[in-house]
Amino acid sequence: MRLIPRSIHGRMLGLSLLATLVALVVAGAAIAGVLQRFVTQGLDQRLDAELSLLAGAVDGDGRIDRARLTRLRGLLDAGPGWQWQISGPAQTVSSAEFPTLRTPGPAPRDALRGEGKERPQPLEGRDGVHARRISIATDAGPVVLTAAAPRDVVARPIQAAVVPLLATLGILGIVLGVATLVQVRIGLRPLRALRDGVAAMRRGATSISEAQPDELRPLAIELNALARDNASALATARASAANLAHALKTPVATLALTVRDDPAQAAQLARIDATIRHHLARARNIAGGHASSTALAPAIADLVSTIRRLRMERSIVIDAAIDPALHVAVDAADLDELAGNLIDNAARHARTTVHVAARVDQGMIRLSVVDDGPGIALADRQRATDAGVRLDEREDGHGFGLAIARELAALYGGVLVLDDAAGGGLSASVTMPIGTAV
Amino acid sequence: MRILLVEDDPDLGPALAKALRGENCAVDLAANGVDAGHLGDTEAYDAAVLDLGLPGRDGVTILRDWRAAGRDLPVLILTARDGWSDKVAGFKAGADDFMTKPFRVEELVMRLRALVRRAAGHGATRLECGPLAFETQTGQFELDGLPVKLTALEWRVLSALMLSKDAVIERLALMERVYEGDADVDSNSLEVIVGRLRKKIGSSLIDTVRGRGYRLATPTPR
Repeated sequence: MRLIPRSIHGRMLGLSLLATLVALVVAGAAIAGVLQRFVTQGLDQRLDAELSLLAGAVDGDGRIDRARLTRLRGLLDAGPGWQWQISGPAQTVSSAEFPTLRTPGPAPRDALRGEGKERPQPLEGRDGVHARRISIATDAGPVVLTAAAPRDVVARPIQAAVVPLLATLGILGIVLGVATLVQVRIGLRPLRALRDGVAAMRRGATSISEAQPDELRPLAIELNALARDNASALATARASAANLAHALKTPVATLALTVRDDPAQAAQLARIDATIRHHLARARNIAGGHASSTALAPAIADLVSTIRRLRMERSIVIDAAIDPALHVAVDAADLDELAGNLIDNAARHARTTVHVAARVDQGMIRLSVVDDGPGIALADRQRATDAGVRLDEREDGHGFGLAIARELAALYGGVLVLDDAAGGGLSASVTMPIGTAV
Repeated sequence: MRILLVEDDPDLGPALAKALRGENCAVDLAANGVDAGHLGDTEAYDAAVLDLGLPGRDGVTILRDWRAAGRDLPVLILTARDGWSDKVAGFKAGADDFMTKPFRVEELVMRLRALVRRAAGHGATRLECGPLAFETQTGQFELDGLPVKLTALEWRVLSALMLSKDAVIERLALMERVYEGDADVDSNSLEVIVGRLRKKIGSSLIDTVRGRGYRLATPTPR
């Protein structure tokens, strides 16, 4: 078991609850202590008062005035367990000798203010009783007065107070806990907002708001800088790929021109060209995968008009009706490659018509491109999306357009599915993550 | 058919120009963006083959400027950039066709011929004028079903007349379509070419419109 919780939420909550608990225990102990002192003080005062009454029954010679004690009986008797004793040099009198009487007598005043008397002292060491003792000096020697009450008298009010005390402290603890919970939730809310911001970046937002609490603003700034670095690294990689393409393709084109009358050399050159195209496309795919939000409808419309013109001699009808609200979390150039390859492949093989459609399907956007051409036999479908395999050798072109589309889709967590179209032909559908409309 | 070829590669440019000339085209080669823009602005071409990555000015910029200035010559982009985004950008800038390097010269020529034919307003690939037929895809002329053998200059003149048949082509405009920009042109040479053509396809098809130019006229059925 982990001692420190994994979540900040848990840590803050745990720490706060621990502190609250300690505070409550300390408060409870302190309150109980104070209470006990008050109760004990009250009892001591009462026992001291009793001692002063008893002292009134002792005269200067150390004799005990029993008649007076008899008169005091009502005052001295407070209940079972309450006891007193006067122990002089001559005799000892204790509460046991006096039967209980209900009628209280008059209370003497200032009995303990006489000369030669000390303040009463607590008397410890006896079980079950709380006692006070005073020693009075008389001519016959010291007379020791003792008054005792059962310890219950102290314990009972404390016990009675403990239940409401604990209940109150418990309620206090709950209130503090709830307050902490609320505080932690509110306190951590910017963190959640930041996480949502980062998630939005993953879905295609270019940056997150830097209007964050002071503690989080540096993080937001760093994240934005990181995103910018990534974007520029991506742009550099793309530019390198394009430069490489340019650098390689132009000499190959020149060579192709000079050897075009030599079939053997032309074939070698065609292999070189195919390899370059293949690896450049792969390089472009590897550089891709940078999520940003791209509106689907205009991108498809541009591609459709481009492919219509490139395949003008085929007079294929390409019909695309895309909801303008749809956005995909796919880089614009990657979307062009992905959809361009699918639509071009369809336009190349279609007899008359290509249908392009898109819809939201299980939290993704499904783009489907359906043609009415010969389709691809079930056995060849897997091979059709393998890089470098060209099922249709008759025409120029990438030949691995479907493979590129599949790789790009996978880069964004989507899949390319090839299927039979309803009226024959190929139905290629690809899923892409949903982007945020900007 | 006069082509503006814009290609900065010192090997590919001349090689492609040679190949196009072998297909009867008059070719002006521009090796940088500035020259290309200037030539496209001032000279008359049937079509342009435009590279995108150019020193001086980028191909897309040149194309956009031509279109903004109302220059509507057919433009085929020939580039190493083979991304769909590049193709979309090319067509959006006003290109009429797009090919990627490396390429087959035969296909390039076929596409150029198709562009020129469509720009002249012809939907069908085979044009006919009486006994004369022009197969625009192969560039082959036929007279009464038999192929006609033509020199490059003769082919340029006849194809220009055929593409705008029944209309008069001004002499100067015809000269512009036939001779390359740096050619040393004898003012009588056009008459000489037309004379040779008349010998090959019959004198009745090409009218001389005095003081203006020439016209390929559909013969009225007798």
